[in-house]
Amino acid sequence: MQAMIEVRGLTKTYKETDAVKGISFDVEEGEIFGFLGPNGAGKSTTINMICTMLKPTSGDILINGYDVSKEKNRVRESIGLIFQQNTLDTKLTANENLKFHCRFYNVPKNVREERIQEVLAIVDLTESRYSKVETFSGGMQRRLEIARGLLHYPRVLFLDEPTVGLDPQTRAHLWEYILKLKKEQGITMFLTTHYLDEAEISDRVAIMDKGQIIAVDRPSKLKDQLGGDIIELSTNDNDQALKEIHENVQDAEVTVHEGTIHIKVASSDAFISSFLKSLSIPVTKLNIRKPTLNDVFMAFTGRNIGEAGDI
Amino acid sequence: MEGVLAIWQRDITKFFRDKARLFGSFTMPVLFLLIFGGGMSGTMETMMAGNMGETAADFNYIEFVFPGIVSMTLLMTSVFSALSIIEDKDFGYMKEILVSPVSRISIAVGKMFGAASVATIQGVILFALIPFLGLSYDPLSVLQVIPFMFLLACALSGLGLLFASLIRSTQGFQMTVNILVMPMIFLSGALFPVNNLPGWMEAVVTVNPVTYGVHVMKNVMVDVENTPAEVAEAMGLNLSVFGQEVTVFGAVVFILIFAVLLALLATKSFSRANA
Ligand SMILES: Nc1ncnc2c1ncn2[C@@H]1O[C@H](COP(=O)(O)OP(=O)(O)OP(=O)(O)O)[C@@H](O)[C@H]1O
Ligand SMILES: [Mg+2]
Repeated sequence: MQAMIEVRGLTKTYKETDAVKGISFDVEEGEIFGFLGPNGAGKSTTINMICTMLKPTSGDILINGYDVSKEKNRVRESIGLIFQQNTLDTKLTANENLKFHCRFYNVPKNVREERIQEVLAIVDLTESRYSKVETFSGGMQRRLEIARGLLHYPRVLFLDEPTVGLDPQTRAHLWEYILKLKKEQGITMFLTTHYLDEAEISDRVAIMDKGQIIAVDRPSKLKDQLGGDIIELSTNDNDQALKEIHENVQDAEVTVHEGTIHIKVASSDAFISSFLKSLSIPVTKLNIRKPTLNDVFMAFTGRNIGEAGDI
Repeated sequence: MEGVLAIWQRDITKFFRDKARLFGSFTMPVLFLLIFGGGMSGTMETMMAGNMGETAADFNYIEFVFPGIVSMTLLMTSVFSALSIIEDKDFGYMKEILVSPVSRISIAVGKMFGAASVATIQGVILFALIPFLGLSYDPLSVLQVIPFMFLLACALSGLGLLFASLIRSTQGFQMTVNILVMPMIFLSGALFPVNNLPGWMEAVVTVNPVTYGVHVMKNVMVDVENTPAEVAEAMGLNLSVFGQEVTVFGAVVFILIFAVLLALLATKSFSRANA
């Protein structure tokens, strides 16, 4: 089966910065593909190139079988976009924003009304249809943008940090909508985020850092690669504790983040009781958990920075 | 086509919704009409009709300046309406348009028509002042001039689009346009005749689209056949470029070419992927 999005050797060079340095990946039809990376990693730059808004310095992109540099209009018809910044006309009503969108995308006249009602219902904005967008809260505006992006039944929906600037409750709510969309409409979704917990809902995640993709896989696989459990602990004297840990523990990876010692072990059950006995320093905080994407990211970027000799 | 209409309609809708802008846009031309038409008309008439002798009594400065002020209104509104492009970029809406399958030429033409329609509406509203200024143009001529006003406004909004595509900031745009609009008004024959000017000014007059706009407006609106030759001269009804008499038809063609060229330039700027 042909992939919905195919990216090969994509690069973008601005005057001084290499924003994207030759990345390649495929996105399969119907999957949620997450792009995870810190600020400035090149996520928006990548998305903008894929959706015809930015000319790549080099590389090839195919969407739905269409070449992004040659068949721009075919590509544009196939995709919906939720940009990082607001792109609604706030002086117009929600209804007007949606109607203009239908006209830009040549949605047939006889189905417009039906579709507008449908997308407004998906994002719970039916009541606000005739209100000006400037009276909407941030969350409502975001939802309206998602509704608008769906009006022309795109094959792929791009969401660039769709929840940025929203409170946790609205964020959670928005993800519910996004998951509902995937389930009900089977749309392929490409999303970027720097919230690690949000990347968890993706079927596959690409971790991006400094213009490069350093890992692509299912979130569970990425976490499994790290193996086992993570023990976080704080003590009264971390330096002494570290020394003792290094003396007593052989096959575990030990790192320190912001005053907390992280120990990665294959299985915490067998490890923890003997480990605690071996420490002479009182433990002030102890937490045992499974690895998150956060740990995956630290593992990868940590190694990268180390290789680059920055530390 | 649907794309052109949608982009056009959005700009018109927003124009009528913005009451402050709607009101503000009328004060300027009305003010100019009051100053030039009322206050200064005596002075101007003496100056311009000085060497006319007997026929001087037939020369009415207000009749001269009215088409000029309408052209000026078209110029200002058309060019300034292109500000909506910069606003659309700032507020992000331009991305919604650019990422859609609407063809780039439709975007350029839609924006051009939007600005031109707003300008034409304002110009036409000024016609309501004709009876109060003691003027009597042939109603048919006034109707005839409206389509031309739209064409002229298209050319001038094309100019605005060009600036808007070159300049990123609102302030920068306003400054540049202010600096450019003034000479375009003064060196067009809109407010006073442009005969016997130094060479470089003459050059500006020649390339200035407003010159041809004013020329057509006057020739269509003023009853040329019943105007004595000296008065016609003083009114600037005869325009010659490179020693050639400019016909109304010639001037219309000039404006048309100007508008098409600018529409193509704007299309090109919308086609650059990096917007
Ligand atoms: N127009 C531009 N001109 C020059 N450099 C740019 C431009 N746009 C982005 N960059 C640079 O390219 C790099 C990648 O930026 P990009 O916006 O793609 O990051 P991002 O991953 O989306 O970050 P964020 O999480 O902050 O949205 C950054 O170093 C940025 O400074
Ligand atoms: Mg970004």
